[in-house]
Amino acid sequence: MHRIKLKINGKGFEHEVDSRLLLIHYLREKARLTGTHVGCDTGNCGACTIIFNGKAVKSCMILAVQANGAELTTIEGIAQNGFHPIQESFMDKFAVQCGYCTPGMIMSAHALLLENPDPNETEIREAIEGNLCMCTGYQQIVEAISHAAKKIGRSEKK
Amino acid sequence: MLKLDEILVTRNWVGKPVRRKEDIRLVKGEAAYVDDLNMDCYQAAILRSPYAHARISRIDLTKAGALKGVVAVLTGQEVARETKPISARAITRPATQYVMAADKVRYVGEPVAAVVAEDRYIAEDALDLIEVEYEPLKPVVTIEDALKPDAPLVFEEAGSNVLMHDKMQHGDIEQAYREADLTLKEKFKVHRYSSTPLEPWAIIANYERASDSFVVWSNDQQHGRSLTNVCNTLGIPIHKLRLIVPDIGGGFGIKLALWPYIVILSLLAKKVSKPVKWIQTRREHLLAGSHAPDANVEIELALKKDGRILGLRITDIQNDGSFVHTAGIYGLIKFATMVGCYGIKATRAELLSIVTNKAPTVQNRGVGKPTMIFALERMVDIAAKRLGLDPSEIRLRNFVKPDQMPHTTPSGEIYESGDYPECLRKALRLVGYEESKKKRDDGRKTGKYIGIGISSGVEPGTSNLGYYYTARGLPEYTGNAEGAIVGIDYDGNVNVILGSVDSGQGHATTTAQVVADMLGISPERVSTANTMDSLISPFLGHSGVYSNKFNDVDLGAVIMATKKVRDKMLKIASHMLGASVAELKLKDGKVCLAKNEEKSVSFREIASLAYKRILLLPEGVEPGLKEIAYYKNPIAKLPNREDFNIQLTHSNSVHVVVVEVDVETGTVNFLRYVIVHDCGNQINPGIVEGMVIGSTVHGIGASLLEEFVYNEEGQLLSTTFMDYLKPTAIGVPKFELGHMESACPYTLLGTKAVGEGGSLPSLAAIANAVEDALSPFGVKVTSLPITPEKVLRAVRETKEI
Repeated sequence: MHRIKLKINGKGFEHEVDSRLLLIHYLREKARLTGTHVGCDTGNCGACTIIFNGKAVKSCMILAVQANGAELTTIEGIAQNGFHPIQESFMDKFAVQCGYCTPGMIMSAHALLLENPDPNETEIREAIEGNLCMCTGYQQIVEAISHAAKKIGRSEKK
Repeated sequence: MLKLDEILVTRNWVGKPVRRKEDIRLVKGEAAYVDDLNMDCYQAAILRSPYAHARISRIDLTKAGALKGVVAVLTGQEVARETKPISARAITRPATQYVMAADKVRYVGEPVAAVVAEDRYIAEDALDLIEVEYEPLKPVVTIEDALKPDAPLVFEEAGSNVLMHDKMQHGDIEQAYREADLTLKEKFKVHRYSSTPLEPWAIIANYERASDSFVVWSNDQQHGRSLTNVCNTLGIPIHKLRLIVPDIGGGFGIKLALWPYIVILSLLAKKVSKPVKWIQTRREHLLAGSHAPDANVEIELALKKDGRILGLRITDIQNDGSFVHTAGIYGLIKFATMVGCYGIKATRAELLSIVTNKAPTVQNRGVGKPTMIFALERMVDIAAKRLGLDPSEIRLRNFVKPDQMPHTTPSGEIYESGDYPECLRKALRLVGYEESKKKRDDGRKTGKYIGIGISSGVEPGTSNLGYYYTARGLPEYTGNAEGAIVGIDYDGNVNVILGSVDSGQGHATTTAQVVADMLGISPERVSTANTMDSLISPFLGHSGVYSNKFNDVDLGAVIMATKKVRDKMLKIASHMLGASVAELKLKDGKVCLAKNEEKSVSFREIASLAYKRILLLPEGVEPGLKEIAYYKNPIAKLPNREDFNIQLTHSNSVHVVVVEVDVETGTVNFLRYVIVHDCGNQINPGIVEGMVIGSTVHGIGASLLEEFVYNEEGQLLSTTFMDYLKPTAIGVPKFELGHMESACPYTLLGTKAVGEGGSLPSLAAIANAVEDALSPFGVKVTSLPITPEKVLRAVRETKEI
């Protein structure tokens, strides 16, 4: 067992964890943040995507002990009150069906827009290539991310 | 049937892209899927067979049971003692299978034992300590293997690996062949694939010792039937099991038959003192969840020289793997709309369900119709080529014409409305057919292999369930129906409880749109429960989310319950306002006099009488404002082999695809993807668009990427998303959509099926485009998926994909 200390969504967490515990299971079962999902166990589907020290990562590919000292953002943390513009855009553009991929998808989009505030369609598609959505066929998700980028751009200009 | 004007009092919401009510929770990560429920649970893990076909000679769980943290174990022998075998639906030969293998395993991944432990990590450790000795038997993997005279039997008691064999003939097929100028025959092979919902199967079971009863939470798509199946298998009365279905992370049919695992979890829960959770891993899902069956389809057209199709004959052999519950159901669903959009007058179908040592099959999105349309629409292209007709022209000559609607097919299926020729013409206009052909022809001169593929398809909805039993006599279920409860709260807002569940379709939103327009309020004031609870919800054996039935019977139940509530409110308001019901109207959450809107009572005031000041209610009116209704599709007929409607609504679509095939790498790239579809009246176009595109992408995956590959030992080789490839945001085209709205005369709102649509014609459209692109090489496409390897081999050697 190992003691880990980390920050999730700006709040401090401290737990004793088994060395083999995956970060996704730590988030869901110890920190009780269940917005991050498990869809494949092999790093292919992206449902478990979170922001780890500023980068989008798949939390099923990381051990909880590796997150010791890290700063994480999960879907619960990108807009503590109300909705983030990406969340608003996903609703406006019908980018959600069953919702299971949605948090991971939004986190990948969030990481993209932090690095590239004005992505073109190809850049958006590349940024979410590691996130599988079985419902939408991606088109409305791509539209939503593009819409969000414009919305954020407009509000920053003001 | 109620008329639209009698149902809707305003037209502010139905037909508009109203933002989904579900999404506020989903985008915030606040959904409650089974695995998210905050419960103190033990966790289960399941040991699965490493062999496709073997006898279990010994199983020993002593070491596993002794591992620290393990609290219970279960073996197949115990299951066979404690439960009844899995019930069959369509097969006609005896085949006994339990929810866990006791003495013989029949597919790689079949459950043989289970362990419950303090957490999943320990449970998985314990699986490694279970000792099983197997005597391997020769596996039966392919259809060809299964049909050999000396083939090993998967179920000895069946005496054959053919568990269902049915023949049906409709119209004068002999005459069609006599009058034909030519016949064309071809064999097609469609592989195994699956729509793989992103949330795998998930179950929590709790046993309450004092009352000797169970509470189960599961993402079950067809809870009405599952409840019966689970209780029958466990041998308990239905009131001893409460089934709760919370949010579902996608279904596509793949969650229609997870109930055998509810049986396993219930048995495990009975052994321990806490709820037991089992979340299927992705590998378990791909290995032993559910697939669409692979199939061999032989198809023959009897044609006139001018391209008119007089007769259609198919022999359909489906490899159903080993799961007696659903084996055999695909054939009859394929058969239902085997004539597609065409006015073919005579058909003959021979349908076989084969049992093999492959994984179970279940109703994957489209249920056999993708295979049927693939074979038919490929065949129509082959006929066009043979007769020197443009692929669009042969279709236009054979389509059912709008003035022939409603059209009854030879077997009795009723195509209620639609303009199939205009649907194609619209798609050709959208793609710019002539320019696309020129681009294709110009490309060929410069070594670019561009192809255009057209496919049409009927998308049926609302299964008339009894048809499964045409070969078995009296059906256990007939017709289709759903239930709903609609209530006005004390404060005049509306709450709705559906008998069905949602797995991503936006039922709460569409329900609110309809109720809002029925009561003259905003959808904001309507809340719909997103949880099904068998103790509370008004469900039937038909209940669930499948066969695109929501827009028909589910909304039908909501409409009928809302109407009952509305009628009661009008009655109370009439008393309160001292006017007759005929003098009243609903407006902005009030009931007012039509001639003097200022004289009104609000829903809140009416509810106040109904719930609180009940002594002021008019004579003979019961307190309360909550009504239940069940609604059945009005045109369903009892199963009758001579004349039966297997499906009760019929949408239609045309896909036109332009691809470029890279003959150096074998890859297929989309240049254009045009879809024109007609699902009758739309309630929420934003939701419809997503369903049409999403289901088309399932077809793209099936056509180009996804395949459950088995070796000759029956080992599945594609068991993760690294080797079972799903479409990603890169590689799928930007879709161009066109809509038509031919109202359905037999549904209350004129709606028809939407959801499976895109997954049906896409396979043939893509295959037709690839064959067109590779026509300079003389390549013929008779199988799927069209992988780079197969393209290269076809271009260089075999001339066949």
